[in-house]
Amino acid sequence: MAEDTGVATEPPLVPMLSLFVVCLKIGVLSFGGGLSGWLYQEFVVRHSWISDEDFSSSFAISQMLPGANVVNLVVCMGEQLRGPIGSITCAIGFLVGPFFAVIAMSAALSRIGDGPVLQAAMGGVAAAATGLLLVMFWRGFQRVARSQATGLATVAVVGITVGLLQWPLLLVVLVVAPVSVFLAFRRARHEG
Amino acid sequence: MKDELLFALIAVFVPFSMLSIGGGASIIAGIQGEVVGARGWITARDFIELFAISRAAPGPGTMLATLVGWKVVGWSGAVVASLALFLPSSLLCYTVFRLSNAHREKAWHRAMREGLAPVGTGLVIAGIVAIFRLSDDVWLSVVIAGIAAMLLIRWPHLPALVLIASGGGITAGIALLMPS
Repeated sequence: MAEDTGVATEPPLVPMLSLFVVCLKIGVLSFGGGLSGWLYQEFVVRHSWISDEDFSSSFAISQMLPGANVVNLVVCMGEQLRGPIGSITCAIGFLVGPFFAVIAMSAALSRIGDGPVLQAAMGGVAAAATGLLLVMFWRGFQRVARSQATGLATVAVVGITVGLLQWPLLLVVLVVAPVSVFLAFRRARHEG
Repeated sequence: MKDELLFALIAVFVPFSMLSIGGGASIIAGIQGEVVGARGWITARDFIELFAISRAAPGPGTMLATLVGWKVVGWSGAVVASLALFLPSSLLCYTVFRLSNAHREKAWHRAMREGLAPVGTGLVIAGIVAIFRLSDDVWLSVVIAGIAAMLLIRWPHLPALVLIASGGGITAGIALLMPS
């Protein structure tokens, strides 16, 4: 895809408006997760704004750090293309659609009222959405199981303390995360 | 009163912004504990509804924070809660992205990623447990979630929206046929 032009001329700046419009479009169409694929299509494949390699390093950072992965990703890409203002443009463009969409849905639901059928329907929607989270959990679990034995213990400790015992999430993460990162760091050094 | 609530929203969501390891799904249990449990802003039933909307609507699941703010204070609450949840993590990501050289600091990146991945995965299952706990009919929810998960693992390209809508259709149908 990417052509090797060596010392090519500086590519023209991506117009702010295009950046905004592309992010707005992805934000509005982004149902049910899996948005990184969309962003890849738009930024790397369709518009060739960002190289494959730059995309994957942005992707790695977005996943590693806290925050919604897609939001982190558009922040990184905005910075690469247009600096801080680009980041802000991308983040706002991406979030403004969903912001009004969720509020509109919530307002519409409270207009319709509080019937038992509607309530049951929302329970079913929540349950099926929890199924999507289960898949996310399952994939993460498999990845952890492949790479590290201590990782499985970490999953169990966090899942049990926060999920079943309802200990404060903040406390658990502040204790467990540094230990887990330290173990991963040491393992990496042992492996070479 | 309103200002107090706005500050309280910031106090709740800024920490969660920095704790949403691996994405928004990891802080569902924490948000539920704060807004339904500790602060009592929202009933269990409303929380399930907000969670359902945040998953059925476009955008990241973390729009749950926007909805909590909206429910608690209205428009200003929605804006404040959204900023509190998205701004700190975005600033952190921006800073790390600018400072880091992806090629030079690979070992450090890898350790962070591998170390945080199991924490994020544990938090996701905790969020799942939190949602089940709030459900009206826990076993029905578990069955629907289990079926949805299996369908999606078997056919990864199934549109999420169709699955979610079917879940709602099933429980609505049951409520219509068997009013309690």
